[in-house]
Amino acid sequence: MLIIKDLTKTYPGGVQALSGVSLNLSPGVFGLLGPNGSGKSTLMKIVATLLEPDSGTIEMNGADLVRRKDHTRRMLGYLPQDFGLYPTLTAWQMLDYLAKLKGITNKRERHALIEALLDRVNLASEPTQPLEEFSGGMRQRLGIAQALIGEPELIIVDEPTAGLDPQERVRFHNLISETGSDKTVVILSTHIVSDVSNLCSHMAIIQKGRIVASCTPREAVDQLKESVWEASVPREKLPAFKARFNVISSRMFDGEARLRVISKRQRPSEEFTPATPILEDYYLDLVNQAAM
Amino acid sequence: MRNPFRTPFAAVFVNEVRLGIKRIAPYALMIFFSSNAVLWWGWGPAVERGWATNSDFYIHRNFGGFNFILGLPIFTAIMMGDPVVKDFRLGVDSLIFSKPVGRGSYLLGKFFGNFFVLVCCQSAFAITFFLLQWVPFSGMVVLPVRITPYFKHFFFVVVVSHLVLAAFYFAAGTITRNAKIVYGLAACFYPTLIAFEVLLKELPVGVRVALDPLGFNFHSGVDGWHQSAAFLNQYVVSYGPYAYANRVSMIIISSILLFIVYRRFGIDGQAQVTRSDDLITLTLSRAPEPVPYTLESASSYGLVDTAIEASPAGDRRQLPRVTPTRGPGTTFFKMLAAVGVEFRLLRAERSLLILVPLVILLSIFDLAFFRVVPEISYSVTYASGTAKALLLFLVGLIVFYTGEAMHRDREVKVQPIVWSMPAQNSVLLLSKCFATALLALSLLAAVGLIAMVIQVLRGHTPVDLSAYVIVYGIVVVPSIIFLTALVVALNSVLRNKYLVYVVAIATGAGLLYLYNIGNNHWSYNPLLYRLWTYANVTSKPILLCRLYCLALAVVFLAVAHLFFPRRTRT
Repeated sequence: MLIIKDLTKTYPGGVQALSGVSLNLSPGVFGLLGPNGSGKSTLMKIVATLLEPDSGTIEMNGADLVRRKDHTRRMLGYLPQDFGLYPTLTAWQMLDYLAKLKGITNKRERHALIEALLDRVNLASEPTQPLEEFSGGMRQRLGIAQALIGEPELIIVDEPTAGLDPQERVRFHNLISETGSDKTVVILSTHIVSDVSNLCSHMAIIQKGRIVASCTPREAVDQLKESVWEASVPREKLPAFKARFNVISSRMFDGEARLRVISKRQRPSEEFTPATPILEDYYLDLVNQAAM
Repeated sequence: MRNPFRTPFAAVFVNEVRLGIKRIAPYALMIFFSSNAVLWWGWGPAVERGWATNSDFYIHRNFGGFNFILGLPIFTAIMMGDPVVKDFRLGVDSLIFSKPVGRGSYLLGKFFGNFFVLVCCQSAFAITFFLLQWVPFSGMVVLPVRITPYFKHFFFVVVVSHLVLAAFYFAAGTITRNAKIVYGLAACFYPTLIAFEVLLKELPVGVRVALDPLGFNFHSGVDGWHQSAAFLNQYVVSYGPYAYANRVSMIIISSILLFIVYRRFGIDGQAQVTRSDDLITLTLSRAPEPVPYTLESASSYGLVDTAIEASPAGDRRQLPRVTPTRGPGTTFFKMLAAVGVEFRLLRAERSLLILVPLVILLSIFDLAFFRVVPEISYSVTYASGTAKALLLFLVGLIVFYTGEAMHRDREVKVQPIVWSMPAQNSVLLLSKCFATALLALSLLAAVGLIAMVIQVLRGHTPVDLSAYVIVYGIVVVPSIIFLTALVVALNSVLRNKYLVYVVAIATGAGLLYLYNIGNNHWSYNPLLYRLWTYANVTSKPILLCRLYCLALAVVFLAVAHLFFPRRTRT
């Protein structure tokens, strides 16, 4: 169980990145959703021991992760949002180095693990290729592999599917869903709603450094039952509709605007028909409200 | 007519100047140059010899020295080598080249923007020197205030000389897209220039002046040491036709270099944008019909998104169990792993391909090609000669490669991954220190080996291995350890490798100046430059000095550890 309590962080320039963030995370995949600049990466960096919080605590199974950084690093697997690799090393050499830093001293175990990891992320066929020749997707996959070294109890993946093609994305989803054990907490930070809906048993939405919602994806969608409506309206009427209703999304199709509107258990007007709520509706509604 | 201040060239130029203003290095250079101007003004030969500090002769003399002595050609390489490379490294290139910016505007804007910043830094020396005319100093001869000679000689001697150097380094960096090749070329500058000047000495004066890139020979007819002060103070430095031909040819060479860059520069993987009207114009009216995208299909990205398909058997392969270990043995294991990787990364530096042979050549040059007079024995002379020559090169090598190692993790963005690993700060820091020291020791071993081979080839036998072991072991090895520790600490405290380069060059130049004018003491000369001979190298005072040097290394490593930004506890 990971418990984050009253975490605050203000950068030297005066930007308040986190403001009293509290979360309780059980084993499983936890999704942290939020728009760009909402404080997701700051929170991830603090949990990954790379940043100091101004105040607040983080505990996992009773251990203070902020104070006991070495202990945290032993149980941590971290995939940063923006990372690089040593360009002249190969994937094998890179994983071997990181496995050694993790304290895996047994050569046979280490080599078996690296082979299995490269196999899992589909990089086993590139044993001698230097990392500077890797594509963005290959680097991302290697990043995922290194985060899984040493059976981490806490895995933090920050925007992991950025740069992956659809096939690799599904592969990543498989990997993460099969990685989680009954002891492992996986924190998936993303702004891609479908990553959360596919993978996460619990989720939170962060906006401007504050947690604005924390629930399961099912509960989130259930909150919008019979509240989402859609309609096709002429393009010129769009501003008027936006002024009257709580429009969460609009898409242009065939010269008309297709609107999705939230209206709690009441049809907004005759043009609208009921729609099945999706997680993106919940997210957009919440982010729009928080932005107002 | 197009406003010249709103052209792409002006935009790139202004942006480069703006980037330059936000860096620390130009300010550090300005301070360094200004303080040297003060030093040369008050504590140079002028006061002692009665030379007027604002005489034409002295102004020209100082600008000539400034052109060469303070490492200015190397600073020019550092500032001019990577303006274009940086864009590609930071990934800004695609943003810039997707705009209607011509190749010429881009390259010229980059070149002149950075050259302008460089000239501003250089002018700190000239301006300080100019302002010092008004400062009274005991025993100093000062002529009535003058303005023109400062600007004339600064432009003629410093700016034009560095224009051609800047164009050369800019061309090398832009065409190869590798700043380290530029640094390698910069390291070759001094030996090449000295060799060139030696060759020029044999030629007639006119040719010498015409071919001299830094203008050393422009007024070689006047020898300051053998002329009276009264004569020198009234002497007017005038440039003859050969000097003008030289300066014009330098400007032409710079233009040719920039033209070569223009011709050879390409944008990898993209069509080159040369004219704005070559761009494809997208208008909504010409856009094709949109592909229908129904909300029914859109609904698939909610809870009923692409369901996770059953993984192939290979994907479901369980990761084997591993048993991470802890304790001092594991820490040592991690240290070895980190040193191995750091050393491998250092070996992959392409600049070493140029630097290592060059350093070896220069270290054994005297012994290989000139008459060797044995001191106690030939082996002692060979060992002492290579140790003395190598030590100065090792200073540069260690400063540069320790900087590279210390900042590599941040620059290649691997830092968040490595820093989240359960490795102590000492492992991460000392591995960089040891890897650089290992590189320096490998170089030392190579130089020693080659010196012994030369000794055999020249018939200066027998080879006494103990002489090499004693000289290298007592003089060079502790110096390497001291230097790496010092540079690791500087990088840890200052956190900017360019600032470290400037501080190291400034401190090195200052100390060398002090040692050479006779202020040489072991307490501030831990490398024992000019403080040892083979006869006293095993004496107690020298051994104590080496212990002092190693103790300082330990202190510097402790400082580095203290200032290392990665936290292990709150």
